Amino acid sequence: MDTPMVNTKNGRDMLAISRGTNTILNIIMVILCLLVLAPFYVIIISSITSENSLTVNGYRLWPEEFSFNAYTYLFREGSIIITAYRNTIISTVAGTVLSVILILLYAYPLTRSNFRFKGFFTFFAFFTMLFGGGLVSYYMVMRQILQIQNTIWALFLPSAFSPFWVFVLRTYIKTHVPEELIEAARMDGASEWFTLIKIVMPLSVPGLATVALFSAIGIWNNFFNVLLLIDQVELYNLQYTIYSTLNNIRFLLENAFQMQGQVNLAELPSQTFRMAMAVVTIGPIILAYPFFQRYFVRGMTIGAIKG
Amino acid sequence: MTKDVPPSSVSVPPKKKRWSADYIYCNLSYLTMVLPGAIWLFLFSYLPMPGIIIAFKTYRLQKPPADFWIQNRFIYSLIESPWVGLDNFRYLILPTNLNNTIMFVRNTVLYNLLFMIVGLVCTVLLAVIIYELTNRFWAKLYHSIFFLPFFISWVVVAYVVYALANHAGIINTTLASLGSPPLEIYKEKIYWPFIFLIGNLWKYTGNGSILYLAIITGIDRQLYEAAAIDGANKVQQFFHVTLPHLIPTIVLLQILAVGRIFGSDFDMFYTLPAGSALIRDVTTTIDIYVFNMLRSTSPIGYPAAVALVQSVVGFLLILITNFIVRKTRPEMALF
Repeated sequence: MDTPMVNTKNGRDMLAISRGTNTILNIIMVILCLLVLAPFYVIIISSITSENSLTVNGYRLWPEEFSFNAYTYLFREGSIIITAYRNTIISTVAGTVLSVILILLYAYPLTRSNFRFKGFFTFFAFFTMLFGGGLVSYYMVMRQILQIQNTIWALFLPSAFSPFWVFVLRTYIKTHVPEELIEAARMDGASEWFTLIKIVMPLSVPGLATVALFSAIGIWNNFFNVLLLIDQVELYNLQYTIYSTLNNIRFLLENAFQMQGQVNLAELPSQTFRMAMAVVTIGPIILAYPFFQRYFVRGMTIGAIKG
Repeated sequence: MTKDVPPSSVSVPPKKKRWSADYIYCNLSYLTMVLPGAIWLFLFSYLPMPGIIIAFKTYRLQKPPADFWIQNRFIYSLIESPWVGLDNFRYLILPTNLNNTIMFVRNTVLYNLLFMIVGLVCTVLLAVIIYELTNRFWAKLYHSIFFLPFFISWVVVAYVVYALANHAGIINTTLASLGSPPLEIYKEKIYWPFIFLIGNLWKYTGNGSILYLAIITGIDRQLYEAAAIDGANKVQQFFHVTLPHLIPTIVLLQILAVGRIFGSDFDMFYTLPAGSALIRDVTTTIDIYVFNMLRSTSPIGYPAAVALVQSVVGFLLILITNFIVRKTRPEMALF
């Protein structure tokens, strides 16, 4: 990440904190980092606990018996997870590409002083950040007018654009693409579309990468729109699939004693299997991080400062 | 690749003549560019807006007659359903519902205030500590770790909470090995404000501090040197040099946060309790209530009334906060 370089004079900077303070802060940070990572540990260790050990001893920080059965089972027979993966990947890729295109196309004209309707379209986007129709009418419009419920569109179309990122990208373009460069291209007879694609776009890569990353996280982790708009198991994405199973096991296990005879606990898919599902849900989106990291701190910080 | 570009000192090319062929051509290009986004905004943001009138009606789904101008059941029902004035709003303050209404409004506002204040302090503190650490490699590593939770969905967090907090969870097995009685976390309210606060800090602190870290990095080091020569210690330097530089951004973000004070992180409040009904008094926010009402069999006018209040109050709060900021410190106002 872009963090400051300290100019050292004779080994130590006059402004640097003392060695003692530095050591204490480092210790605090290491402890905090371990706490931040603890949830990852918890979920991974639960997924590699043997089912037997989990049933007998409950969840443990260090289980008595390890087992990777949940994962082998997951990759052998995990048809729910495969469908969910397919839906998630399709919607994430489509939604990310679409959102980068839509946001860039909307942001660029807002940086141009000769755009006649700049004020109107700025307001048109900005107003939606301040006021909305509310959940009830959103729900009705999605289901009764646009009718995107129970289609793959519902997984990414509602998150395919964002006025907030339009303004971030607009600021980014304003501060990173010299106006003279655009004007020069225009003088040479380049069309606005050509200028956008050949000049503005390559210079805005960090900003675009930031938009892409946040959009991808948002759609990969999309839960709310699936809850609202999807009723069919075949269209569930990963988040919703694992959500519905968590809810079922918690309810069944905690109420099992009240419903003797009605629920056969042995028939419940194993708990470790569920935990393994949650783990493989995290995987790919974490992998995107290093890939985008080199761009996105710059993209985010510079674009977000008011300009 | 791109360095900060200095403000343009080169003279701007002579203005094109209004309505020249080039001007029109340019604007047509711009219009085609904004068109897809504008269509999206129209469909997903503006189209639901007229629907707020559901709050003033008894909405009944009806099939439009064959000669109606648009064959859409929602639009027809929206227009034809009878007006009931403020009845839907009155329902919320009926003696039987009043306590419930106060409960979810109170939850929403208090959680938001809690997250705003604690979140702000932690975010700024993290940025300052990361900046002050002398070893850059470790500082970057810490920051990367703190940012990681931002990638994790609340559903996965709900699994973590479950593994920790269910009656055979890690917390209880650890307590049992120490000889303590188990905690029924999914059945007792007292734990949940802490769970939500910790969850919120865990997920957003690293991400939020990026912006502050960038600003601190950009502060002229001579200011610190001058302060140090004047005898200011680190704490004084923070309050007299660092903080004044952060204030504009803090104000900007807090204006936006105040506008969302009636909103909430739906996914968090909905997934972490995993449907446990015993703790609903501390896990129901306005969004959760609206959603549950929408899914129930009760008339949708009730949740619509709540959603309308939520939208209007959010809108007014952001206008008022911004107005106050503009009167006192115009350069910090959002618009």
